Order: sequence, then C-alpha cells, then structure tokens
Amino acid sequence: MHFDDKIPIYYQIKTNIYHEIIMGTLQPGEKLPSVRQLALDVTANVNTVQRALSEMIAAGIIDSKRGKGNFVTMDETKITDLKTQLITEQVARAYQQLHALNLSDEEILNSLKHYMTQRGNVE
Amino acid sequence: MTVGLTLQGVQYRHGMKTILHDVDLTITPGKIIGLLGENGAGKTTLMRLITGSAKGKGTIAINDATVVGDRKQHVSFTEQLRGFARETRVDQVVRFYRDVYGDFDFQRYQDMETFLQIDGSLKLTSLSKGMKEKLIIALTLSRRTDLYLLDEPFSGIDSMSRKRIINSILQWKPDDAIMVISDHYVSEVAAILDEIVVVKDQTIFTHEATDTIREKYDVGIEAYYESLYEKGNDYD
Repeated sequence: MHFDDKIPIYYQIKTNIYHEIIMGTLQPGEKLPSVRQLALDVTANVNTVQRALSEMIAAGIIDSKRGKGNFVTMDETKITDLKTQLITEQVARAYQQLHALNLSDEEILNSLKHYMTQRGNVE
Repeated sequence: MTVGLTLQGVQYRHGMKTILHDVDLTITPGKIIGLLGENGAGKTTLMRLITGSAKGKGTIAINDATVVGDRKQHVSFTEQLRGFARETRVDQVVRFYRDVYGDFDFQRYQDMETFLQIDGSLKLTSLSKGMKEKLIIALTLSRRTDLYLLDEPFSGIDSMSRKRIINSILQWKPDDAIMVISDHYVSEVAAILDEIVVVKDQTIFTHEATDTIREKYDVGIEAYYESLYEKGNDYD
C-alpha cells in the first residue's frame, strides 16, 4: 500500500479497509488477516495496524472475537451507515471546494450534472 | 521496575570534545524508532553507549538492566561485522553467533536466510553492500532479546533489498521488543516508524510519535525533519 506521508498511517489503513468493506471486497462476517499479516500486506508497523483496528472496533465496524480474530460486522445497517458517512465526506469536500470558487448551490448542481453527461459522452 | 529503554543524563566526550550531552530518553516496549540526524551527529555513538561498547556518564537501562554486563544480554547490535576476517565465510559467522549467543534462534535465522536469499558459502569480502546489510539484519534479528539496534541499514542499497529488509523487520521483530533504526534519510522508513528521535546539537533535539507529527503539524515526516534544520539555519 502506498502511503501519503502527510496523513497519519493508522488513518490511511482504516480508510483502506473501510473502502474494501463498502466495495464488498471484504464481506460482512469475513475474517480479517492477523495483525502481523495485515502489517506485512500494507508494509506498516504492527502497532499502527493495531491502532487502526482498535478504532474500527470502537466504531462497531469490526468485531473482535477473543482468541478467534477480527471480523467484519454482520450488522448491515452499520455498513450502510459507514457508506453514507464516507459518501458525505467526499461530497462535502467537493462541495466546499466548489463553494470556495463562489459557485451558488444551483451552479454546483448544474456543473455536476454537466460533468456527468459529458463524461458519459466521452466514454 | 522500569520497562523499555531509559537513558538519563547521558553524556559522552571524546578528548576535549563533547559528542553528546544531557541525553534523556524513554522508549516503551514494542516501538520501532527512527534515530535520525546528520552524519557525525552522534547516532552510532548513542548506539555504542546503549550496548556499553562506548563508556560515558549517566544511566542507561534496558528493562532494569543497568550494568553493562547485564545490558549486553538485552540488546542485539551487529556493528558492521567488525572483528571478522575478510576471508570468513558467512556460515562461519553464523556458527560463531550460535556459539556465543545463547539467545540465537537458528530456526529464525534459517527462515530469514531463505527470505533474504543469503548464500552461506560466500566470503564476507565478496558480499555486496546490500547482501552485507541483509546478513547483518538476519544475524541481529535472530537473537531473541528486548532491544535491536540497526545502524543505517539502508545506506547505499537498492530498493528491492530495502523492501525485503523492511519486510523482515515487520515479520520478525518480537511484539514487545524495541527496534531502533538509524538513518539520515527518513523517507525510506517513515511509514514503519512509531516515533522519531532526532540527534542534533549534541543531544536529543526532538522525540515525537510519527502519527502525532502528521496530525499536529499536517506535514510529512521528511518535511518535518528537514524543517528542524531550516530553523537552525536562521540562527547561523
């Protein structure tokens, strides 16, 4: 995994796993690799991976079963909530950047619609 | 009982010259530390003080072992394979390590030898820079101990060797052991470090967690490290 040196590594690992859960690469109830294996997979330190896992466990997205390992939650509403949260974050970022260019809400909406149709034409 | 690595009021002089002064440092178990500083800043001296091969003032403890003789059992440091004749074969060096260090785990060495593609039949003099570093990593990490010191393991080696060395560290460092990696070029290891310790102006100039630096200052580790020197230039 390629890390951005400016963003905390634990945060990037967490985001990466969240994306895999939302995309379905990691299924509800699926077991995660061991902490050390995850560390090797992404080339990060075991402590950093542990911190990322602890946050995901606290958020209820990962269930830690004593002696068995870490699993993606079976609770689909939690995954739906996570998806909503990530979408909101992405949209908010784009909205703020466009808003900073003094675009009105209507202009933002129109430019997005315009982009989507143009993009379709190119493909 | 203190746990981890503790240095208190450590100083070291060479003749009339102060190399290190007022060194206070506490590292908790399990951490991977980047020991940073310019060439000649005193990084290797600090490692030698920790192992006891250099003698200075102050107190150094590794999990309660303060006396040099006790401390040596708690720390693994392979300093440039000094002391071995150039014609020595790699497997003879390994034999020596097995004989001398009771905590040498030969099975672990063999795993690393395979992973790092080390050829035991080669003579030390015929090893490339990268191969020599790989051998040093394998020998150092094969001892089961509390503290591992690696002195500039990435200097002058190619990126494939670097990746394998980094993977070896992640795979074979025991969970509770501390690892200190010195380097003067941080970007190649930044992602695996828990904390950085910067040696500058003959002392510990900075000691901070890497993710704290990223969160607090919104900069990368390399940019943060470089900024320490830019500020210094203002006073020159």
